[in-house]
Amino acid sequence: MSDMDQQLLAIIKEHAIGLTSDPTRETLVTDLGIDSFSIVEIIYEVEEKLGIEVPFNANENALGDMKTVGDLIDAVKKLAGKE
Amino acid sequence: MSRRVVVTGLGGICATGANVPEFWDNSKKAVCGVSVRTLKAGDEYSITLPIAPIDGFEDRLAEFGRDMARADRFTQLAIAAADEAVRDAGVDFASGLGRRTAAIVGTGIGGQTTFDAAYLAMLKHGRKPHPLSILKIIPNAPASHMSIRYGLNGPAFAISSACASGAHAIGVAADMIRSGAADAALAGASEALLTYGAMETWKAMHIMSDELCRPFSKNRKGLIIGEGAGVLVLEDFAAAKKRGAKIYAELAGFGMNADGKDMINPAVEGAAGAMKTALSTVGAFDPAGVYINAHGTGTLLNDPTESKAIRDVFAAGADSLVVSSTKSMHGHLLGAAGAIEAIATLKAMETGVVPPTINYDEPDPACDLDYCPNEAREQRIDLALSNSFAFGGLNAVLAFRRV
Repeated sequence: MSDMDQQLLAIIKEHAIGLTSDPTRETLVTDLGIDSFSIVEIIYEVEEKLGIEVPFNANENALGDMKTVGDLIDAVKKLAGKE
Repeated sequence: MSRRVVVTGLGGICATGANVPEFWDNSKKAVCGVSVRTLKAGDEYSITLPIAPIDGFEDRLAEFGRDMARADRFTQLAIAAADEAVRDAGVDFASGLGRRTAAIVGTGIGGQTTFDAAYLAMLKHGRKPHPLSILKIIPNAPASHMSIRYGLNGPAFAISSACASGAHAIGVAADMIRSGAADAALAGASEALLTYGAMETWKAMHIMSDELCRPFSKNRKGLIIGEGAGVLVLEDFAAAKKRGAKIYAELAGFGMNADGKDMINPAVEGAAGAMKTALSTVGAFDPAGVYINAHGTGTLLNDPTESKAIRDVFAAGADSLVVSSTKSMHGHLLGAAGAIEAIATLKAMETGVVPPTINYDEPDPACDLDYCPNEAREQRIDLALSNSFAFGGLNAVLAFRRV
């Protein structure tokens, strides 16, 4: 797993109050316990902590139909042009 | 449909108490919550002035859950007060009552702390504001969070009328219960403006005291700004009695009007008119059993105007009743003033103790009533008014009667 993957995983972990163990790429997004605020908060923290731009518009469903944390990480990396 | 409305729960937080019992204990002991503090924005900007801040609230945040960790301070304070009020009332919203319970919560400004942080981040550091900033700033955040937290589906919104917001919110919520628009309500207000930006802005008005708040005292020098929240649980009297609820008092009258004259200067007729309207539904009373929790800001203009208005309303009875301004202790909570002061008023009725006007040391011929100076006084209270008169000439008066 790349450094960026690990950094993203760490940020997701902070918001995953529904989990009793650490999230992995295979963890289901529905198991994270995140709510309507969490995705924008995660994107914001990614931008702040990694110093990158993530051009995300919640109206465009740019994150697609994410099933797993791996899907989420890949979607964020794609938006940031870091894939 | 016309129902009687009673108060069955109280929750409050301000400089002189983290909850209602502590607040009331300190009010009886004449504890002053004012001290000189330095408020900073980043490392570059600071202001030093006397204020009435709440200390140590950050340490309690975990008890309010994740939603409050992501809320502005004014919402956090509102929820602290609401949690206490709901516990105090022992009311069960899950039984179906929640569907017909309102949440009407006032504020003068809203999420000032978030505003300040967002502008500092943008203009000084070139950073983006936090994506949830708007949800933190909006003045209806406390009402919305209460509806989510307790499962309330009745009318919910914010009321903003500067320093009368709290009294307007309580009065309007009571009117909703009377009219049948709701069966119960969480009503009150919250304010948290003790930030560098807000205090510089207030200071620019040149109405703040540089030492203490001394309402009705000739040497008064202006207001001292505090922060906090107050929430009341209001219920239909018949329903409250049926469930065996503890009843503090009946909200027997509510008067509101506008001076229609001036943005700053208060008018005797407006203040008197609001008090007269509030008293028009309370029935007969003996002035010797009346307590008025005054707006009493400690400004040059408010105090004599309010005193004259009380004299106009009560005529000779004005010499029998007792008035006090608890702002002398907890500071001016601005939008939340009417809410925390309604609580002081209700506790005074419940316990038969008039809270004092502290820092009173020089009589003013223009303020010629009994202000319960400096020490609390034991006295039976049958009827009490809580006065709120806002910038912009907006007046709201609550009348509570012993049930």
